[in-house]
Amino acid sequence: MDTLARIKDLAIKELALDPAKIDPNAPLAELGVDSLSFIEFMFKVEDEFGVKVSDEDLRKIKCLADLERHVAASLPAAGKA
Amino acid sequence: MPVRRVAVTGLGVVSALGNNLAEFYRSLAAARSGVRRLPDDVTLGSGVQVGALAAWDAAAHFKGPEAAALDRVSQFALTAAGEALTASGLVAAQPAATARERIGVCWGTGMGGAQTLDAAYKSVYGKNDFRLRPLSVVMAMNNAAGSNVAVKWGLRGPFANFSTACSSSAMAIGEAMHAIRAGRADAMLAGGSEALLTPGMLAAWQALRTLSPMDADDPAASCKPFDQRRGGLVLGEGAAVLVLEEEAHARARGATIHAFISGYGNTCDATHMSKPDRDGQVRAMALALGESGLAPEAIGYINAHGTATIVGDVVECEAIKAVFGDAAMRIPVSSTKSMHGHLLGGAGAIEMAAALMPFADGIVPPTAHLERPDPACAVRHVALKAERGAIPRAVMSNSFAFGGSNVVLIAERA
Repeated sequence: MDTLARIKDLAIKELALDPAKIDPNAPLAELGVDSLSFIEFMFKVEDEFGVKVSDEDLRKIKCLADLERHVAASLPAAGKA
Repeated sequence: MPVRRVAVTGLGVVSALGNNLAEFYRSLAAARSGVRRLPDDVTLGSGVQVGALAAWDAAAHFKGPEAAALDRVSQFALTAAGEALTASGLVAAQPAATARERIGVCWGTGMGGAQTLDAAYKSVYGKNDFRLRPLSVVMAMNNAAGSNVAVKWGLRGPFANFSTACSSSAMAIGEAMHAIRAGRADAMLAGGSEALLTPGMLAAWQALRTLSPMDADDPAASCKPFDQRRGGLVLGEGAAVLVLEEEAHARARGATIHAFISGYGNTCDATHMSKPDRDGQVRAMALALGESGLAPEAIGYINAHGTATIVGDVVECEAIKAVFGDAAMRIPVSSTKSMHGHLLGGAGAIEMAAALMPFADGIVPPTAHLERPDPACAVRHVALKAERGAIPRAVMSNSFAFGGSNVVLIAERA
């Protein structure tokens, strides 16, 4: 499963987002995700992918697509999902 | 200006005796105890064997990820508040945001989100893992339960959270009543919750040497208030909520009025952190009676604090006798902690709910397991079995806390 699909699955599970309405480019606030929920969600994302997102990077993430790009860039390059 | 009367228009309960008011009342009427042997993963090495654990399945009350963002203490609070609000019809009748500025929350809890704290300590000290959940703070903070209730129903009026150990939620009810009387609110959700049955908390209580050992023959009978064989309190968990409402406000929307809260006494012993003081308790009862304007004889049932500690039960009975004189031998007294355990911060609210039970159908809940009353606790006990009689004019509920806080509430029949 690709990174975005895994993030979407996690968002459906952890944030109770409607699978039919997840637009990766929609601002998180439009998806009904507030700042507190997002920080808790990022905790789960870090666990899921084994990555660490700095506070500075976190502030730049405005939508799930941003998150996917960030996670993908943070992942060890070879042979790991 | 006439006094604004404060009606009770809804009740909700989560406890070891059931997770709604009807089950709670049925258990009390049947003298059924919710105390039992605690599972090993709850007690660990604490040495505590019994408690009144709620039969709780968060997934039955919360959808999807909602439960994971709520400490157990808030889950209890929201569930009991939901029942109380539904029963009262208050939120359904008050949809406007401006009207909700006149509805507030007064909550009580001793330890707040104890399970969240426990999980955090386990991670930090047990695993040297400092990567804690981002929600740890807002789940563990003492005002989380009450705040979750306010947020869920958009209750934008006065908010207060009380943490005075075992009197916390009785104080919440008393202060909520005063907020309505003073005209600061039209209605208040008043209650409390506690969920501290964690290994660390149990160990701390065990160290205090105030918990009852397990009754080897019948673990459910481990808490024996006023009995010669009593050996201390049994910890419980749960929540209870009252919807309090100014009388005219309740009548205007045709709400059912179960009772009126008419007296609130609040004193501090100011003598000792744990040893109860007769004078402080006497003054609290007298203040509550004074505010209600009732003669002592009008009280037809006293739900005692009655924790089943050696000293506490005697001091409370002496205080009752000092306040009520000869009438003390006529007024039915019971401690329902014998069945639902000691809810600490939630005790005042759940015992107010128990105290209101005679208003429904004249049934007075008993002190379960009271086979051998201690002569030093000579009051008119409702022992072993519930009693059915005439609906009393008024009832009293006592809550006396570590730290010396004494709160007494009086309710009158509708």
